[in-house]
Amino acid sequence: MSYIAGVDIGNSTTEVCIARVAFDGTLEFLVSASCPTTGIKGTVANVHGITSALKQAMGSLGLGTERLSLIRLNEAAPVIGDTAMETLTETIITDSSMIGHNPSTPAGAGQAVGQVLFMEHLDRAERGTPYILAASRNHSYEAVAEAVNRAVDEGGSIEGMILQADEAVLVENRLHKKIPIIDEVARMDKLPEGVLAAIEVALPGETVRMLSNPYGIATLLKLTPEETQVITPIAKSLVGKRSAVVLKTPGGNVREQVLPAGEITVCGDRDVTINLDEGAEKIMAALSEAGAVRDILGQPATNVGNMFARIRRGMGEVSGEPGAVSAWGTGAAASAQGTHAAVSARGTGAAASVQGTHAAASARGTGTAASAQISAQEPHIRITDILAVDTLAPVVISGALAGETCLEKAVGIAAMVRTEKLPMEEIASRLKAELGVQVAVAGVEAVMASLGALTTPGVAMPLAILDMGGGSTDAAVLYPDGRTELTHQAGAGELVTMLIGIELGLRDHGVAEQIKKYPLAKVESLFHMRMENGQMSFVEESIDPRFFGRVVMLTERGMVRLEEDIPMEKIVQVRREAKRKVFVTNALRALRQVAPEHDLKRISNVVLVGGSAEDFEIPDMLMEEFANYRIVCGRGNIRGSEGPRNAVATGLVLSYIGERQW
Amino acid sequence: MVMNRPTIFIYTNQPDRAVLKEICAGIEEEGIFFEIFERSVREVNELAWQAAQDSMLGSGLGICGMDAAFSMRGLTRKRCVEICLNPGREQCRRLGSNSARAIKRQPLAMD
Repeated sequence: MSYIAGVDIGNSTTEVCIARVAFDGTLEFLVSASCPTTGIKGTVANVHGITSALKQAMGSLGLGTERLSLIRLNEAAPVIGDTAMETLTETIITDSSMIGHNPSTPAGAGQAVGQVLFMEHLDRAERGTPYILAASRNHSYEAVAEAVNRAVDEGGSIEGMILQADEAVLVENRLHKKIPIIDEVARMDKLPEGVLAAIEVALPGETVRMLSNPYGIATLLKLTPEETQVITPIAKSLVGKRSAVVLKTPGGNVREQVLPAGEITVCGDRDVTINLDEGAEKIMAALSEAGAVRDILGQPATNVGNMFARIRRGMGEVSGEPGAVSAWGTGAAASAQGTHAAVSARGTGAAASVQGTHAAASARGTGTAASAQISAQEPHIRITDILAVDTLAPVVISGALAGETCLEKAVGIAAMVRTEKLPMEEIASRLKAELGVQVAVAGVEAVMASLGALTTPGVAMPLAILDMGGGSTDAAVLYPDGRTELTHQAGAGELVTMLIGIELGLRDHGVAEQIKKYPLAKVESLFHMRMENGQMSFVEESIDPRFFGRVVMLTERGMVRLEEDIPMEKIVQVRREAKRKVFVTNALRALRQVAPEHDLKRISNVVLVGGSAEDFEIPDMLMEEFANYRIVCGRGNIRGSEGPRNAVATGLVLSYIGERQW
Repeated sequence: MVMNRPTIFIYTNQPDRAVLKEICAGIEEEGIFFEIFERSVREVNELAWQAAQDSMLGSGLGICGMDAAFSMRGLTRKRCVEICLNPGREQCRRLGSNSARAIKRQPLAMD
């Protein structure tokens, strides 16, 4: 009798299972465990996570790891996923020009136009001139109200107010004449005195109408058609706000700058070049058009060029293939080396960098010079797949007064990097040295996953699996004669986390990860909360008041409060959309790749495995989508007990029995 | 017919004037009405608890001298939402504001 372990190193999680093998070859699975993967998948840094998971599993059996006879590691696919986001537009205000935010309690309603006048200079107000009074927090609400009442009684024209303190209602309640008042404007010091300002406070339950409309601003500030054109980004960024101020600064300038996103060249059966700002749909169409992809290049000296160079550099460090990395540089133009290089480039811009021989790239459409960086000896590190997703990122507007953000067009990209080989043998020998147990690298990951998936009750061959992990979405079809078709696609859980983080403007990656994983609820009283599906949940013991009124995540360890003030409905919408964009797109893409004649209708059933298959909504989304193709789809239940996890580890143990002759 | 006004109750026992004024300002800024009653009880959390029980909105404050507390109906006598001993101006404002935000189902401001 011996104990053997199957170990699956994933992009995010390392999973193990332990089985007892009797002398007659009878196999009994005993326990499973998992730990976060330490370091990048396929590197020696993984050893620490593997050891922890094995100790955890053996510990639960009351045994030490020295009792293991054999550890079987997956032949991790030499692909690593990475994600990045680039904003394509940026709004810049080169002078103090706007305030647009959502103070919790503005006062009054309507619009007003006037010259900005500081409270300290109220005595300088001229009769007949309309003013917008600005008061810092040094002035009490009583003093402000009294001074304004006096000024108005004496014939002054105070049309609106901007306050630094949260005292708009307190001031308004003490005014004889009601005017719109905006409060909680932190950067009063940046407010220029004497300039013309338009102020608007929306009616309760509404948002500003005049200042979120370029023609509304033009009406209030009497702008020319040219000036109206310039003010458009301001109007756009004030959409949805409850109060706003727009300042007409003569020297000021507002512009929406289009950042040089750069071009992507897909080198495949055909080379196809596409500009990043064409959007995700066209990028993915270009990818399909290129056929079998050998490599994907980013235009040097652009955002996308730098992004791809960063991914390759990271992968080079992992696989120890520096030669391949230096060939790509960091996007700067390199000198041409070798012969027969051919680059066709239209337009002007960055110089093309050419290396090696037989390189060819064509630049289509408008744009800058294309880069051809393919050598006769193909580079060892290649980007073999990307998933591009359109997104909107709230970016802080340069020059705004209250930290206002504007939703800027952005594209999120997950890239799949392929190397010649990952140092799996080195991991195996390190592990052997550390634990004193024989270690074998065995089995192709996707095949092992299929074998493991076969232990799900009710499945039969031919079997299609969709392995949805953190970094990649893999698909495989296992036929009864042993043939296997498999593919790795860029983009999975990590890209979803990134999109959630970007679109909700979250600074903490951990919070975005939790939003992805857990359903939400809003604590509406000390004794009940409303779930995101509308269901009400009541509790006997009062809920901690710190959760009151907050959106919370319902984790297995209880409620976790979300610090950001974002409506629950918005979070749910962003989360679901991110999952749909990544997983539905990728599932269809991956299955089409492995399906007989690339026809989805020729796949009859799909088993979902991997960490993301455990998600509380992704499998349902896929089932809904696959129903259109009459595909039966469901979450795997490995060994009838493990759910969709542990497929590869289980497959590794099963394949051991198959390999041995008993 | 006797109609109770939808107000936050503030039960006081010889309250410090500045503390009372700032707490009231915090409630007023949130746009909620309040009523003040002098009571003989000297424990600030008991004052707040009773105020919350009696308020039609279920939100009550207790002020005893320089100390203040905020409670909500449903909480036990000893478990107030917030108790401030000798609070500063900002703390008083926040206490008043929170008693109003609780009614509006808005998140409470915390330290």
